[in-house]
Amino acid sequence: MDNNQVFDEVRAIILEALGVDEKEVELKTRLIEELDAESLDFLDIVFRLERSFGIKIPRGEIERNARGGLSDEEFEDNGMVTPEGLEALQRVMPEVDPIYFKDGLAVRDIPRLFTVETFYNIILAKLAEQGRP
Amino acid sequence: MGRLAGRAVLVTGGSRGIGRSCVELAAAEGARVAFTYRANTAAAEATTAAVRATGVECLALQADGTDRSQVQAAVQAVVEAFDRIDVLINNAGIIRDQLMVAMEPDDWDAVLATNLGGTFHFTQEVAQPMMLQKAGRIINLSSAAATQGGRGQANYAASKAAIEAFTRACAVELAPKGITVNAVAPGLIETDMSREVRSLAGDRIREEIALRRFGMPEEVARVVLFLASDEATYITGQVIHVDGGLRL
Repeated sequence: MDNNQVFDEVRAIILEALGVDEKEVELKTRLIEELDAESLDFLDIVFRLERSFGIKIPRGEIERNARGGLSDEEFEDNGMVTPEGLEALQRVMPEVDPIYFKDGLAVRDIPRLFTVETFYNIILAKLAEQGRP
Repeated sequence: MGRLAGRAVLVTGGSRGIGRSCVELAAAEGARVAFTYRANTAAAEATTAAVRATGVECLALQADGTDRSQVQAAVQAVVEAFDRIDVLINNAGIIRDQLMVAMEPDDWDAVLATNLGGTFHFTQEVAQPMMLQKAGRIINLSSAAATQGGRGQANYAASKAAIEAFTRACAVELAPKGITVNAVAPGLIETDMSREVRSLAGDRIREEIALRRFGMPEEVARVVLFLASDEATYITGQVIHVDGGLRL
């Protein structure tokens, strides 16, 4: 499976899970802001990705990985992402426009940053872990 | 063609009482049926034999609803056998009646773990395949005890009231994925579970039932299967009382 096929499959899964128009879904499309995805939709997408690609994405793994290995205290302060946390996020999510990693980002708003590419990258990483092309 | 033709149905605690009626009526409505039972193998075999005698596929699965790995294995077995799961009927339940002041903490825990915990575990396990299907029906068995204080039933009443709250919360969460979640609250039904109450206080309770009789398991099962059918597409988060007009 080449990267284009992976993207096509990820895109098809997001279309199916959210029931949105094909034209609306591109690599940089933000799922919550642009496609009205809700938290349950993320789980739905994960379930479909697991089935389709034959992988496992343990619950909470995406959120944990977004912390770039920082402890809770290092990553957040009173529900807000610390400057160190913002750097980690930016490193872990290179697909997201840097303008969104700014002071005042609440931890609960991190999923708002997720794009189609976020899930595409997760799948590429999972496939690479398994040594699959 | 039955009202549940081709549907894959899982009933927890399906070897006896209301659960068995749900299994038999679902099969009669054309469903492929699986049910769980905890320990009574003879009762499970009798239920399976009764359904198979009608020419319908039936799967008996031994599973304790308080044990997550057993719940997971049971749901997986249903999905493997039927390739989908359309209806979950959370019926498995126990009683450990005792006045609250004398109630053993273990009896409190056991009733909450089986009735409420089991309902949660099965619901969470079926949610994933139902979400992938974008369709599903979950029907939870509550009880008149959820809303009518029953002496000696603090644990049971609390578990059933919690199931009603759980039903509403799940209905809101799962509706966007095409899954409905409802509850049925039976009154006093002629089952093994209610035998003691009926024999001790039957005459007095009968006086409090508008229809002046106890219900039969199939009278509850018919309402459960209505909620599982295409006749109930616009009902979710509701509790339907099937109690003959208890304490109206």
